[in-house]
Amino acid sequence: MRERERGVLPGFGLALGFTLAYLGLLVFIPLGALVLKAATSDGGHLLSTVLAPRTLAAYRLSLGTALVAALINVLFGLLLAWVLERYDFPGKRLIDGLVDLPFALPTAVAGIALTTVYASNGWVGQHLARLGIQVSYTPLGIIAALTFVGLPFVVRTVQPVLRELPAAIEEAAASMGASRLQTFLRLILPELAPAAATGFTLALARGLGEYGSVIFIAGNMPMKSEITPLLIMIKLEEYDYAGATAVALAFLLVSFLILLLVNMLSMRSGVRAPAA
Amino acid sequence: MAIVLDHLNKCFGSHCVVNNVSLEVRDGELFVLLGPSGSGKSTVLRMIAGLLEIDAGRILLHGSDVTGVSPQRRGVGFVFQHYALFRHLTVAANIEFALRIRKTPAAERRRRRDELLELVGLVGLEKRLPHQLSGGQQQRVALARALAHQPSVLLLDEPFGALDAKIRAELRRFLRRIQSELGVTTIFVTHDQEEGFELADRMGVMNYGRLLEVGPPMELYLRPQTEFVATFLGRANLMVGECTPSGVKLGPVVLPFDGQVTAGGGERRVQVLFRPEDVAVKDSPDALRWPLLGRALVDEAGFSGSIQKIRLRLPPLQRVRPISPAVPFGADYILVEATRSQHQARQFPLAAGDQAWVGVRRTHALLHPGLSFLAVTDGSPEGAAAVELAGSIGRLAHARLTLLGLDPDEPRMHAHLEQLRERIGGGPAAVDLRSSPDDLSETLARETTRQPYDLVLHALPAEGATAAAERLLESQEHHLLLAPSPPRPVPQRVLISVAAGEAGKYDVLFAGRLIRHLGAAATVLSVAPEESSEQWLEQGRRFLAGAARTLSLLGVPERTQLRRGRIGDEIRRELSEGGYDMIVVGAPLPDRSRRISLEGVVGGLLADLRDLPVLIVRADLGALEPDRPPAGARAGENTGASKTLAGSVPPDARRRKP
Repeated sequence: MRERERGVLPGFGLALGFTLAYLGLLVFIPLGALVLKAATSDGGHLLSTVLAPRTLAAYRLSLGTALVAALINVLFGLLLAWVLERYDFPGKRLIDGLVDLPFALPTAVAGIALTTVYASNGWVGQHLARLGIQVSYTPLGIIAALTFVGLPFVVRTVQPVLRELPAAIEEAAASMGASRLQTFLRLILPELAPAAATGFTLALARGLGEYGSVIFIAGNMPMKSEITPLLIMIKLEEYDYAGATAVALAFLLVSFLILLLVNMLSMRSGVRAPAA
Repeated sequence: MAIVLDHLNKCFGSHCVVNNVSLEVRDGELFVLLGPSGSGKSTVLRMIAGLLEIDAGRILLHGSDVTGVSPQRRGVGFVFQHYALFRHLTVAANIEFALRIRKTPAAERRRRRDELLELVGLVGLEKRLPHQLSGGQQQRVALARALAHQPSVLLLDEPFGALDAKIRAELRRFLRRIQSELGVTTIFVTHDQEEGFELADRMGVMNYGRLLEVGPPMELYLRPQTEFVATFLGRANLMVGECTPSGVKLGPVVLPFDGQVTAGGGERRVQVLFRPEDVAVKDSPDALRWPLLGRALVDEAGFSGSIQKIRLRLPPLQRVRPISPAVPFGADYILVEATRSQHQARQFPLAAGDQAWVGVRRTHALLHPGLSFLAVTDGSPEGAAAVELAGSIGRLAHARLTLLGLDPDEPRMHAHLEQLRERIGGGPAAVDLRSSPDDLSETLARETTRQPYDLVLHALPAEGATAAAERLLESQEHHLLLAPSPPRPVPQRVLISVAAGEAGKYDVLFAGRLIRHLGAAATVLSVAPEESSEQWLEQGRRFLAGAARTLSLLGVPERTQLRRGRIGDEIRRELSEGGYDMIVVGAPLPDRSRRISLEGVVGGLLADLRDLPVLIVRADLGALEPDRPPAGARAGENTGASKTLAGSVPPDARRRKP
């Protein structure tokens, strides 16, 4: 963008160069290697690996659980953000700090903890078991783990938007006769939607790639509770590098398409509600 | 009445943002609420809309009490400074919002929307989103949106505050037109007096949570009643002079004044206002057809469009204290501002350093001379407590405050006073500092001769309180407030204990004038001797009824109490029962040598009251005056009456019981 007026801070060329080099080292080259690896393998073998029932089941499970977990996170993330922004209560800062914990905690630890709690003899699991609900070693457990690791995304993207929302909007609505529920549904929620969508995308992406916390709680039964990243690991341990690459590449492609779609959707709503 | 506000109050902790505001806005009127930022005007508006709860008072809209009604059901339209448009909705959807909420049929909704778009001149922009509009257009949308549900009252909170001058002027005309077209009762809040002048049918000026004056813009500009309004609306030359039957006296000069102004006794201090455009500037005294103020030196002469602004230096006038424009510290002149038309400026050109003769075409004397307090401290914690009380009362009463520090080490005292001033903050009309190495009596005599004060505040002395109070009352004619230490919160329940009689009326009047600013309630106590006759009691009752009327006229919630017994005992009994946090007593009239003796009831009280502020009121202060418009002719009568009173009563009967 040479024709653009010079900004106050110089160095457009330098910054762009650095960005490209950085992305190249961290993203393009590894991905390129992945594609190269797949390209050098036997096409028929790749296709049969990707289309194998076990692989398809893993894809379905990974996508499904990540989607459900991200949706749960949108719902409760909005609630959490609302409570943290709108109310004052003792311990608020502590809770606000706890939100980030899933980022800091090694995900394996989270997985083990969740497994212990939700196992059929665990604190929560035994009560659920009496109701006939089994969490550990089922897709439900995977959703629980993914919800846990995705928790901060929606909260942290919605919070600043909520904070910046002028109080006058609610007051204007009230003076025009809108009830609190109407104000929330018609005015506040649409304002929060773009941020919530961003949070959803991030949580979804995180859920698709999550490995550490899931493998402990999932039980990892092929066709039932085996997620895609684990399948890739298994292929690697079997020295089936080509197979692993194929599974990874196809998953990458699907994930990328989904994220692109969600991003485009939220961009469109973003145009309607500019951050200004 | 479309809008009635009845004694509204709103406090956050001890800070009252809205202080006893009462107001009536007529049907179809465009009322402008004007005041500097932080004066509480927006708070009042939000309370009318129901967006803010009130602590006390009532709000009536078109006759029905809406005090406890939710904002949704008040039927008001509200326009915010920053538009508060719904950003994700189009202009059309914004305007239709209130109608959608009311489930108005689509056809009706569209009809109303198109009508409003046409009204605010935005036809064709209905599909735009707010951020695609200019600020002025956005505010038009906000206005249309606020009018959509046909509100009974339209409230605008600094709606043009975020726009530039040209668009503001355009929108003012636009609003004026729409308002008169629709006839909707409107309150417009602004800090811009020009905006107020241009828009208002009537306006009210607020400062520090109080509604000071209400009236048509012209009336408030020409005949303000308070110092704040005089100086806040337009430029003002404001000085303290004397009011005489022949006119307003500024030093040796007697100026004409506009009609009936003051009552009260004889020659009394009064604030004199003349606007810059009322100042005549000529090259010789003979060319002036107006009373001459003196020969002045031109300090500044500046061009400002259609008029020329001049600042003139005049030699000091005796017993005249300038208030506005403020004179630099240590200056031995007074400043007068003048404006001339460019035509006049061409005929008699003036530049800085030139000499000119200055006359005044028209003056106005303020009905309510602001209160002025002197707080005395010796640097002790007790002294600081007195200053603190002066600060908190001065803030509420918007009084002029002078802090007087007594200390041989003047620089140290000055630093201490600076600290105290810092702590008081910006509430009072002004805070001046003085320090003196001399002793109390001498300094006080000098200071109070230089300029009169309404009230002197001093720490309640631990010992010899009576003698100290006598000394403090010796010089000049101020009242005295003795402050306890450590500092107490601003008094909320005041006991006024005075003798039934002429002097007692003055006591009640001054006490009322002071405590109405505090938002405190008062009990007037009169004590009759045990063996007093029925006639005496009847007189006491009549006096108390009069006192109650006076106080309620001043807006002070009041109660009266008639007791029989020994005065000191009965006062103590009332104090112990009533939960009072301040007491007002009348000082006995001075003897022939102008000495006031507090031996007796007041002395007895001072000896054992340790934790209450004690206000000692003296009745013979000329500046005392009812806070209601008195008839001009009464000035002379009053003087006569008080003289007769003093002269005809036998000397021993003049010593009053508090």
